[in-house]
Amino acid sequence: MKKIYALLLALMLASGYLFASGGQDTAAADDQGGEEKVKVGFVYIGPAGDFGWTYAHEQGRLYLEQQLPWVETITVESVPEGDAVRFIDRMVQQQKCDVIFTTSFGYMDDTVQAAAKYPDTTFFHCSGFKRSPNMGTYMGDMYQIYYLNGLISGALTETDKIGYVAAFPIPELFRHMNAFGLGIKEVNPAATVNVKWTYAWYGPDKAREAAEALVSEKCDVLGFTEDTPTVIEVAQEHMEKGDTVYALSHYSPMQAYGEDATITGQLTDWGVIYEQVMKDYKAGKTADLSNYDLLWLMKENAVELGASWDEKINGKYVDALKAKMIDHAEFGNISVYDLVMKRYDQMKQGREVFDPFTGPIYDQNGNMTVAEGEIASIGHLFGEMMYQVDNFATPLPQN
Amino acid sequence: MTVTILPREKTSALFNALILFGSLLAGLVAVGVVFLAKGINPFFAIGEIFTASFGSAFGFQETLTKAIPLILIGSGLALAYRAKFWNIGAESQLLLGAVFATWIGLKFGPGLPAWAILPLMFLAGFIGGGLWGLIPAIFKVKFGINEVISTLMLNYIAAEFVKFLVVGPWKGETKYGYPYTDDLPTQAILKHLGSTRISLLMLVIAVCTALVLAFLVYRTRFGYEIRVIGENPEAGRYAGIDFFRTSLIMMFISGGVAGLAGVGELSSIHHHLSYPETISAGYGFTAIIVAWLGRLNPGFSILSGLFFAGIIVGGDAIQMSMGLPATTVNVFNGLILIFLITGDFLLNHRVRFQRRVL
Repeated sequence: MKKIYALLLALMLASGYLFASGGQDTAAADDQGGEEKVKVGFVYIGPAGDFGWTYAHEQGRLYLEQQLPWVETITVESVPEGDAVRFIDRMVQQQKCDVIFTTSFGYMDDTVQAAAKYPDTTFFHCSGFKRSPNMGTYMGDMYQIYYLNGLISGALTETDKIGYVAAFPIPELFRHMNAFGLGIKEVNPAATVNVKWTYAWYGPDKAREAAEALVSEKCDVLGFTEDTPTVIEVAQEHMEKGDTVYALSHYSPMQAYGEDATITGQLTDWGVIYEQVMKDYKAGKTADLSNYDLLWLMKENAVELGASWDEKINGKYVDALKAKMIDHAEFGNISVYDLVMKRYDQMKQGREVFDPFTGPIYDQNGNMTVAEGEIASIGHLFGEMMYQVDNFATPLPQN
Repeated sequence: MTVTILPREKTSALFNALILFGSLLAGLVAVGVVFLAKGINPFFAIGEIFTASFGSAFGFQETLTKAIPLILIGSGLALAYRAKFWNIGAESQLLLGAVFATWIGLKFGPGLPAWAILPLMFLAGFIGGGLWGLIPAIFKVKFGINEVISTLMLNYIAAEFVKFLVVGPWKGETKYGYPYTDDLPTQAILKHLGSTRISLLMLVIAVCTALVLAFLVYRTRFGYEIRVIGENPEAGRYAGIDFFRTSLIMMFISGGVAGLAGVGELSSIHHHLSYPETISAGYGFTAIIVAWLGRLNPGFSILSGLFFAGIIVGGDAIQMSMGLPATTVNVFNGLILIFLITGDFLLNHRVRFQRRVL
């Protein structure tokens, strides 16, 4: 009896081969292209439909395919950190990818390993700081936009408590939250930032819980770094019940999830970045990537202020911001709206004209982290920033 | 018309095999319909899944890698299910195994050579998984608490416990704020075979465990007792079988081997403890189907474990080549399980359709 089972299982396995032979013919038929194509693989942390981080990358990939007809792309989604190697193996060995983009900070060590294992494949890791001859890094960073969001949030808060739903305590988040905090401080020194950590990039349930908790603690503006529009939805629900809770859109244009609640937000256009990386690849500039770090900010038009690509600030709140006057050290008596636009223009010209991380900057314990008059180095912002600036009310997560 | 359902007294080996094959085939047809609904040629898609996992050297390596935890847990579950103890908690038993092994590895690893630390980690992992398996066994025998509920709920408790550890007291110094423990020292890490991700030691352990458990079930007094408990508890009582003792030992072993799988995932794949869903990827649940497809014979878990590992690995491939979402594999597994269970029902019951006589 046992023998029969064993035989049948073996048959099952074998039938895979039978089906398979039909499949290969179809695959071969697809391969008839004229121009030599470059095959690019994308490894995503969340589902491509998360409508946040991964969605923004997916839009970038589609733009890339549209702009550069010689690029052919494949994707894998919801790849757990720590298991990326298995997918990269398949992309290189079976799918024969020439270039692989790994689009989450947590893939850093896996990408380093894979780059060492496959020296003939070119790797680009998003948002990390480790590089090697065949592994470069790229990032469209929005810390400047976060600062502008901070100016606006600081002006609109009534309770002087601003909430933040944060995924992981890593440099990227501290950079964004601190820029946000510095913006808030510039217009409203009395306001504090209150953080709840969810420990998940994609976790709508956890994000909802954190956002609700912040609202019940009287926070009336919610920012977040997490990959879904959940926080916006929570704010909108409160708005519809008559409470005032604003939210800031993150990565993708999320205004549609909260027409009233969304004041503004941060947008990244990964498409132009991917286009640049692939043009560099085609032009042969990527032979040695040890120093290849494509870090694009406002100046390079990789990031934009807004909750939709059409308007920088939700039209419903423009008048309130124009009416809100503050005394500013640099510009004197100025409306917050004008201040935002002035800073926007300055940062468009580059870091040297204005940068939110200009000293003196103090952490929560009162230590000076950026000296008076200095601009924080890229290394400080991307590798070392593991603290919260001095208007954060919640402590660093416990170690 | 009336439908009568009667228990089937005897089943022939051929009939048994036909039902198994039939339910697998029906499951595949159902999966094919799903593919068809997505506008994809089902023969191509299902074929792609199996070529990607068994049809290439690279794919087969990865299939073996995934098969290791499935074989281990599947054979352990088969043991429990033999006694009709419905252990749904292998996921948490795996996690506790990984937790115990992490503690040993980080605490004593740096000062010990590989030949000492690895056996210690395996022992700790077995005990960790085993103890976690004992809890629902005690609940059931002493207080009559349904083990389906208790094992299922213990999964959540274990997952939250692991999260607490990696976010809190065990968070690594070298992990940039990520909720991971520090990496295990080199000597506590299982070597891989060449450039694959297969740990030969784990593969041997998995296959041997399955064979030993099969021996245990069919050739020993203990195995006989387990089967009697499952088939006819009353007869077991008359025969003087100690329910408490047998159930506890059985669940300690069932949880323990899941714990071994946890040690393997930790030491061979991840090298540090991290979020529960990263450590396990649902092996504890997939192994339930593995145990059933292996007809609750721990030995056959080797084959059925390979089969489902193949589906997982093939799932990666169809995601890449056909742009199907990552969740396709779950649909696949779910449908197959439904048909296997239906098949099992038909195997043990006779369904008769009769026209109502007026």
